[in-house]
Amino acid sequence: MIIKAKNLTRTYPTKIPCLALKGVDFSIKQGEFTAIMGRSGCGKSTLLHQLGLLDIPTTGELFIDETNILKLSEAEKSHFRLKKLGYVFQEYALSPELTALESVYLPLMLQGTGKEEYLAKAAEVLGKVGLDKRLNHLPGELSGGEQQRVAVARAIVNNPKILFADEPCANLDSESSDLVMKLFQELNQKLGQTIVMVTHEPEDKKYAGHIIWLKDGLLEREEK
Amino acid sequence: MIKDLKVSYFLALKAITRGNKGTLILTVLILALSFINLSFIPSLLSGVVDSMNKQSVNNLFANIIIEPGEDETYIKRVSNLQSKINSVPGVIGSSAHYDVGAVFSYDEDRNGKDVKTGSWGVRSINLEDEKRITTTYQMVVEGEYLEEGNRDKIIIGKEISGTYGSELEHRSLKGVKVGDELTLTFNNGIQREYEVKGIFNSKNVQVDTMAFITEREMESVLKLNDRASEIIVKIEQTGEEDRYIEKFRSMGIVKEEIKSWTEYMGMAQSMIKSFAIVKLILVAIGLLVAAITIFIVIFVNVVNRRKQIGILKAIGMREEIIVRSYILQSFFYAVCGVGLGFILMNFLIVPYFIAYPLSFPFGLVNLIVNPRDLFVSSLSLIVASLIGGFIPSWRAAKESIINAIWGS
Repeated sequence: MIIKAKNLTRTYPTKIPCLALKGVDFSIKQGEFTAIMGRSGCGKSTLLHQLGLLDIPTTGELFIDETNILKLSEAEKSHFRLKKLGYVFQEYALSPELTALESVYLPLMLQGTGKEEYLAKAAEVLGKVGLDKRLNHLPGELSGGEQQRVAVARAIVNNPKILFADEPCANLDSESSDLVMKLFQELNQKLGQTIVMVTHEPEDKKYAGHIIWLKDGLLEREEK
Repeated sequence: MIKDLKVSYFLALKAITRGNKGTLILTVLILALSFINLSFIPSLLSGVVDSMNKQSVNNLFANIIIEPGEDETYIKRVSNLQSKINSVPGVIGSSAHYDVGAVFSYDEDRNGKDVKTGSWGVRSINLEDEKRITTTYQMVVEGEYLEEGNRDKIIIGKEISGTYGSELEHRSLKGVKVGDELTLTFNNGIQREYEVKGIFNSKNVQVDTMAFITEREMESVLKLNDRASEIIVKIEQTGEEDRYIEKFRSMGIVKEEIKSWTEYMGMAQSMIKSFAIVKLILVAIGLLVAAITIFIVIFVNVVNRRKQIGILKAIGMREEIIVRSYILQSFFYAVCGVGLGFILMNFLIVPYFIAYPLSFPFGLVNLIVNPRDLFVSSLSLIVASLIGGFIPSWRAAKESIINAIWGS
């Protein structure tokens, strides 16, 4: 199992403590395309944040690639995220001052990859997502769909063990959404990329081989 | 470490080269002005102190002043003393003065009506000696300087004549011109008439309230010979006065009081001390303003990039890399600001004040840029900028990824 969650809870310390996850158990196998689904406010994004080490569970256990995540220091978590995880956010989240190529090679730079290698790798990955002619364009010069494909390229450039996506098509038109989802499908089917995606679009179910349904912070059911 | 530095540098470089150019120019300009603000006041105060010192050395006291010993009115055997002093290597020369108070009367219409009077000091000078010591002979603005053999001639400062922009015009003789007759009643009761041969303007009130007559004339008034109220001594190296004073004493000049010019700068010294405090306060305020400015610039920058910072952390970038990139940006702003400020200060402001010096009661004042002050200002501004850049970026980088990206 690449992800194993045991009795995962998350309480936000607001005036009236908000129990967003109430104890969730599940496992995800390597190479699976998992969709986390459910109504708004059911805890989908909260769960993704815990899995992606963007937030800390209040209680429970979480193993990713056989590492007990809750025992990692902040620096170790940063390193873990850099080496093993990739993220695609809802709103592209690209730096306005970096070209497509620079955005994509940044994680490789962080890993200490040599210049020639990171330039070649970033260009190759951008080619894979169909942006080989937009390498030196800034985000402001790209469409929403193109920006999201740059974000996907950035997320996969360091060959992560798991690719997390938080409603990646929420801000895209249907054509761009199809392109991004087909890209995910291709990554999963051709390269065996493990993908965990939060979505509220029922039609996205067709891309996922494993669906986790959440309701009111609890695991309602799993579909495989 | 080097890899992390490279990433910080990369982020900073892109933020600077592709960020908002208006913000960049404005920030650099603000820092340049902060630098000028930090440098201008110390330079002005240095200029004031330098002007006061130069005026005192060049026109009033020279470097060393020898006065009569206790219970003596005059120094005796002056020629002998001057020969001894002048034989010391490094001594440029000495000049003996008689200083006497006198009441000046000016009857402009020579009819005994509306006679203007006032009391000022009269100093006798040995023309040859004096020209080696003071620069008053260069400051005659009307008429001529005294000459050997002048017995009934006098030169007066503009504060006595009441002309040439006199600062104390109300206490002057209100409009004395070269060629006018003045009646002087000396402290010993002797009254003599003098023709005004020249009027000088040293731009120093203390000098410009004096009048000069020749040594021979004064000796005839006082009925004295080879004596002096003071001997002033000029040496080659200002600052070496104590060494020369020791030397003079070792040569047997022990009855007389020997002092450095700095001992006569009582009021000026307290002003200089006050200037140092004022300078410190202004520099501290200037630095605080600069630090707050850069803090605001980086803070606004960071607030606008809160989400970006969250994303960078999410992809595995450590906090220190992010903070370092903002510190590098601050460093860039500070260095550009200091550089621009330095250019403006040295190639625009200082030359302007050399061409159009400020007029103070003790003389004209230029800006004196002290390299040490400049270095301290530059370094302080850079450090203040780094702190101003560090605090907001550190706070932003410490924020949780969730808060940074989605805000709460």
